[in-house]
Amino acid sequence: MNRSPLHDLHARHGARFVDFGGWEMPVRYASVIAEHRAVRSSAGLFDVTHLGRFRLGGSGARPALDRLLSNDLARIEPGKTQYTMILNDEGGIVDDLIVWWRSADEYWVLPNAANHDRVMAAFSEEPGCEIEDLRPTTVMVALQGPEAIAAFERVLGAAPGRFRTADAMFAGHEVQMAGTGYTGERGGEICINTESADQLVTALVETGVTLCGLGARDTLRLEAGLPLWGADIDETTTPLEAGLGYAVALDHDFVGREALATQKASGITRRLVGFVMEGRGVPRHGYGVRTASGGGSVTSGNISPVLDTGVGLAYVSPPPRLGEAIEVEIRTRMVPATIVKPPFYKR
Amino acid sequence: MQVPEDLLYTDEHEWIKRVSDTVVRLGITDYAQDQLGDVVYVELPEVGSDVAKDDILVEVESTKSVGEVYAPFTGKIKAVNQAVVDAPELVNQSPYDGAWFVELEFEGVFPLEGLLDAAAYQELTE
Repeated sequence: MNRSPLHDLHARHGARFVDFGGWEMPVRYASVIAEHRAVRSSAGLFDVTHLGRFRLGGSGARPALDRLLSNDLARIEPGKTQYTMILNDEGGIVDDLIVWWRSADEYWVLPNAANHDRVMAAFSEEPGCEIEDLRPTTVMVALQGPEAIAAFERVLGAAPGRFRTADAMFAGHEVQMAGTGYTGERGGEICINTESADQLVTALVETGVTLCGLGARDTLRLEAGLPLWGADIDETTTPLEAGLGYAVALDHDFVGREALATQKASGITRRLVGFVMEGRGVPRHGYGVRTASGGGSVTSGNISPVLDTGVGLAYVSPPPRLGEAIEVEIRTRMVPATIVKPPFYKR
Repeated sequence: MQVPEDLLYTDEHEWIKRVSDTVVRLGITDYAQDQLGDVVYVELPEVGSDVAKDDILVEVESTKSVGEVYAPFTGKIKAVNQAVVDAPELVNQSPYDGAWFVELEFEGVFPLEGLLDAAAYQELTE
């Protein structure tokens, strides 16, 4: 089992650990809901060292990014980040990831933890790509919430703009940042050398930032309507079905483009949609969904701590309309719910 | 972890309190609520329903998982605690007082078999 270099710090703060794809990471310190609320009301810090990350350079970098990724870097510029996907030939989502375009010829690619090796391998097969795996030498933390930017400035003297990259110095080392996250809040993610990580997190905690586990990260991302690879999206689902068409640029050539163009022309037969429970009950992955004209299954569900009601994402076929009344099969009961457009909570 | 001396326990992390000659009150232990994390949903049986030993009595869900409480013996549901349905966080805040789930009436002799005293339960959780 891999361990974050922050493992001792987590243990000192009473973390409960759980296996996240081969990484023993904090799932909570005390209360998932209290940690969730801290991120919505002030600022929270997550150790996300398990996330994939590698540096990509060389003359082949840009052609490889263009060929392998669904989104088009021509839509942004150096110093910005982009949400994108790597697809298979059928248009299925091999991974959804973020690219930090740090400078003209330096890209950081951030796959999901479970897909780090696979995505890095795909790029290493492209000609002219120079790859440096950043996971063994760095710690990554996410600082999120309405007070996150102020915390960045207090401790690092700089804060990343929304969807922008930035650099700062801490304890004599350069740290890399981006204004990204997975909670629906302002804030960013910080990559720091392993030796300085404990000191950085301790400094952030001393300024009042709440340590949060990956349990709260999951309820936050769900409330923000953000899909999770492996639960809501995977190789068998396409970006069009998942409502991620905004991260697909069909006007450039990439792996999976043809399949998506065909699907776009013929129309999708199922759609990942959001729903809010109208009756009592907590929707969970795998529960059935019934609509007037069809049905489907829940891919993510939980209580929304802010709304204090059950919310979820489900694939439904045929795609339902907004406001449609549906039923979720919670064990033996059919519980009413309503189709809504995520996010369930928006700042 | 609190394990009150005056209660009996099951190896499924339930506590049982004798409230009369024929009725017990039942909930889950401090250890169980700590393992579950934030409880967000509780489903109780109907008053007057009959339950057999090992039937699912109560459904308890936290942010991370779904748990069940089983009937420790056969009986009839005498009362349920609506307060814990309305405020599931009581299970975390007050597992032995505010968050009792049901009162279960049994026939005949109090079925002690398989129940643990505080010391034995404490040992189980260590």
